[in-house]
Parts: sequence; C-alpha cells; structure tokens
Amino acid sequence: MTAVLEVSHMRKIFGGIVAVDDVSFEVRAGEILGIIGPNGSGKSTLFNCVLGQLQPSAGEVRIDGRPTTGTRPCDLNRLGVSRTFQLLQVFPQLSVRDNLIVAGQEHQGSMTSRLFGRADAGLSGAAGRMIEFFRLSHLADEQAGSLSYGQQKLLDAAMAFMAGPRLVLLDEPAGGVNLTMLGQLRDRLQAYHAEENATFVVIEHQMEFVMALCTRVLVLAEGRIIAEGAPHDIRRNPAVIEAYLGH
Amino acid sequence: MTRLGGILVVLAAAAAVAAPFFLKPFGIFLLSTWAVLTIAVIGLNLTLGYAGQISLAQGAFVGIGAYTVALLTPAGVPFPLAFIAAGFLCFVIGWLLGYPALRVQHHYLAFVTLAFTTLVFLVLRNEEWLTNGIYGITGTARPNLLGWKTGGARDFYFLCLGTLALLSLATWWMLRSPWGRAFVALRENPVRALSLGLDTRRYTLMAFAIGSSLGGLAGALYAPLVQFIEPNSFSLGLSFNLLLMVIVGGSGNFFGPFVGTLIALLLPEWLRVTQGYYLIVYAAAVMVMMAFCPTGVLGLLERAVRALSRRKVTRAPALTGGAGP
Repeated sequence: MTAVLEVSHMRKIFGGIVAVDDVSFEVRAGEILGIIGPNGSGKSTLFNCVLGQLQPSAGEVRIDGRPTTGTRPCDLNRLGVSRTFQLLQVFPQLSVRDNLIVAGQEHQGSMTSRLFGRADAGLSGAAGRMIEFFRLSHLADEQAGSLSYGQQKLLDAAMAFMAGPRLVLLDEPAGGVNLTMLGQLRDRLQAYHAEENATFVVIEHQMEFVMALCTRVLVLAEGRIIAEGAPHDIRRNPAVIEAYLGH
Repeated sequence: MTRLGGILVVLAAAAAVAAPFFLKPFGIFLLSTWAVLTIAVIGLNLTLGYAGQISLAQGAFVGIGAYTVALLTPAGVPFPLAFIAAGFLCFVIGWLLGYPALRVQHHYLAFVTLAFTTLVFLVLRNEEWLTNGIYGITGTARPNLLGWKTGGARDFYFLCLGTLALLSLATWWMLRSPWGRAFVALRENPVRALSLGLDTRRYTLMAFAIGSSLGGLAGALYAPLVQFIEPNSFSLGLSFNLLLMVIVGGSGNFFGPFVGTLIALLLPEWLRVTQGYYLIVYAAAVMVMMAFCPTGVLGLLERAVRALSRRKVTRAPALTGGAGP
C-alpha cells in the first residue's frame, strides 16, 4: 500500500537559517501522525513546504505517489489535501454557514458554472450537516467574527473538512482552546477520522491531546527529525526530553 | 434582504423614475450624472469593497470608455456596439492592471493604479492624432435605439437609468453567486482562501477586470451625456472622487454606491450657497464622516437599525421582569 503522503529529503533555508533540514517521512492511509517539537523547530515551515505555501529549497513531496512539489495550494486542496492554520483563519464577516460553503464551493464545476449556478453552490445541505457535526447549529447564521475563540477554532477545523479531504494537516488545533472545548474538538476530530477514514497530520504542543489522538509521533528539533514512534515511547525518549528541556 | 429594505428599494426606484418629471433640465442632468457615475462606483465597490483590491484607476477607465465611444460613434459604429466595445476594452485593460495586484497590496497597489491613471491622462493629452489632445472631443451624439431618440434630457436620463438598473441586477446576481462569497473570502483572508481551493489569482484578476469594465461602461454613457470630453475630466481627481463615493456610501455594501454617489454629487450643489467656502465645508464634512462612520452612511444606518431592534428585544423581558414583585 502506497503512502498517502511522502516527504523526502525536504530542506528549507531562509537566508542563513536552515529551518527544515533533510526531513523525510511517510504518512500511511488512515493514520493520525503527530508532529511535535519545541518552538522554532520547523514544524510549521515543514507544513508550508508540503502544502505549496512555501517553495522548499530541496526535496520532494508526493501525494498518493504523485509528485506535487511546488503545486499551488488551491490545486492541492482540490486534490483532497486540506489544512488548518496555527493562527485563526476564518472569514470573520461571512456567516458560519457561508464560511463552510466557501470552503467547499471550488470543488465542483468551473468558474463559469459557479457564476450561473445556484447561489449556495448546492452546498447548504452539506454545510448544515457539518455545522451539526461540529455542534455549531445555534450559531449557523452568526458572523464568524462574533464567535468565541474556541468556537472559531471548531469552525476552522470544520472548514478544512468541508470538501471531504482524504489528507488533513492540522497546525496546532488545540492552541489557545480551553479544556471543555478541547475535549469537544478532539472528540469531533476522532469522529470525523473514524467516519471518513481520513488521514491526519497534526502539529501540537498539548501533549495530552497528542497522546489521545495520534497513532504515531515524529519529533522535530532544529529542523531535523530526532525521534519517531508510538506516543508512549516518545514520552520516555531521552533525546526528546533533552530537546524540550535543554541541557 | 429584510422587508423594510425591499420597500425602501422599491420607493427609491419609483422616485428615480418619477423625478425627471418634476425637475428642471439641470436637475435632470445632475440625476443623469448620478446614474452614470453610480455605474462606475458599483465597479469600484466590487474591486475595492468586495474583493479588497484598492484602485485609484477607476476614473481612468471612465475616460477610456468615454473616448472609445466618442471616437467610434462618429466613425459610424452604432452606439450599442461602441458601448460594448468600451466595456470589453476596459475589461481587458483591467485584467492586465490586476497583475500587479497579485504581487503588491494596499498602499503599494494604490500607487501602481495611481501611476496608471497618470499614464492614461498623459496618453489622452499627448496623443493628439487620436484624442485631439487638450481640445477634447465635442458633440458625441446621443443615440437612436430602435426608433427611440434619446437626444432630450429626459429620454437620455431614462437610458442612463435603465442601463444602471440592468448593470446593478447583473452585479447583484454575481455577488449572490459563489463568486460574491469568493470575493469576500479574498478580501478577508487570501491565504486561507487559497488553501480552501479558491484560485485567488483568477478571482483577483476577475475583480479588477469586471470592476474596470463597469467603469468603461459608465464612461460610454458619460461622453454622450456631457457631449464634451477632455483629458482633465479623467485625471486623478475623478478617481479620488469615485473612491470617496464608495467609502461615503459604505464600502462592501451593495447599495453603498447609489447613496454615496448621490451624496457626493448633491452636497457640493447644496453647498453652493456658501460660495467660496463650499470646498472647505465639503472637506470638513468628509473628514467628520470618515472619523465617525468609517463604514459609510449605510453602515451607520445598519448600526442604527440593529440598535433599535436590539432595544426592542431587550425591553420585552425587562417589562415582564418589572411586573413581578
């Protein structure tokens, strides 16, 4: 079985700083891979290179065995690869419903058919189901900007799932979310994973969250992979402890 | 749209149809100018208000449209064809002008478009073989359309108003389609939009092209309306005025352009009684407006309506609560 995502010998250099240094890994179908590491260890840069937001200095990305290095984010998204961002990224002036519709509308038809087709692109039903799935029904017609931080974080994740992606990269989904909301978020991610048999890659600092969610964990420090394994082994790995706590 | 909004729109439309029967020729001319400029302002509102791409080039597109019609109709091209040509030409040029917007944003983009306006002005002034330079072009004929002579002030006003109605409907259709949502997404967060599969490049270029093309169509009516065009009419001043109209009405509000253009056209006329001071008063009014309601007149109105309806909602339980001991 081929990997859903293969990254080989990825490097990204900013000026004199090597942010990502010869990173290679695979993500198998249906897996939830966690990527952890201290601040500045290159996790988000790695995501941005995989997703075409940044051009890698070297290395290759394959999705379902197909080379996609340098493919534009919008084209990657239409191939079924979705993401969330570390900082909140919803469209504050659109309603919750419209945030979800806009997240799905480009996946069908052409620009022309979207201009002359239905106003909701035929997605009201799907958006409604997603709103229900993420328990946001009472907020469906509110402007996204008026939601609480945790609710926006849920919406953010819902948007990434709207087009039914097979591979989702989540950049610190738990960041800044309170404990109640965190449980809800984890619960919804697991439910989606189980229902759609989707593949996740999750960057996260919140260790409990990683332990509960991920099946395998990669540890990044100073742009390199320093450890890999099951969550509980990673916790006891001396190299990981040193990277987090220093000398 | 709420029912109140619908009633207001119908009333305003009825007033726009009835008005010329009660106005003197100058009033009708002013109203025609309103209809024509509103078309250009709708275009700029699309580019700036919805898609978030600042442009100081809308006046230049009005100029390109005006000169297209002023040059084509004397050569025997029927007005409807010249009108479409003006829109198409501006669509193409607008598309090309959109390319810098893919690289620069905000005030940098403002400067790029400002330079474009200056460039168009220089071409209009200096290429005398084509544009007659500073002497301008006089006497662009008002068209006969299927036996309807639009030479009279009132008839031409109805041509302008009808065109405005058609183009508003087309724009409304586009903005309620997935395109409208995509434009707003582009304005609010281009990086996220791109990651959700929106081809932000194409939508940006489209926003520029369609907005500019509306500017060109406005210009195509402007030439036969004023019957004398010269390069100075389309210098930077016009672009700034159109931008002002977008912002006064309410940037990103569908009805903003109608209101903004009306205010920006009427205020100077009403202020004529102050004689030499009118520009000072006008400028002060604009500054006060920007400081206290940056969302424009319609934004202010919406806030007022929302505050009123909220008071109604909160008052109801307060009353029942007050009834108890």
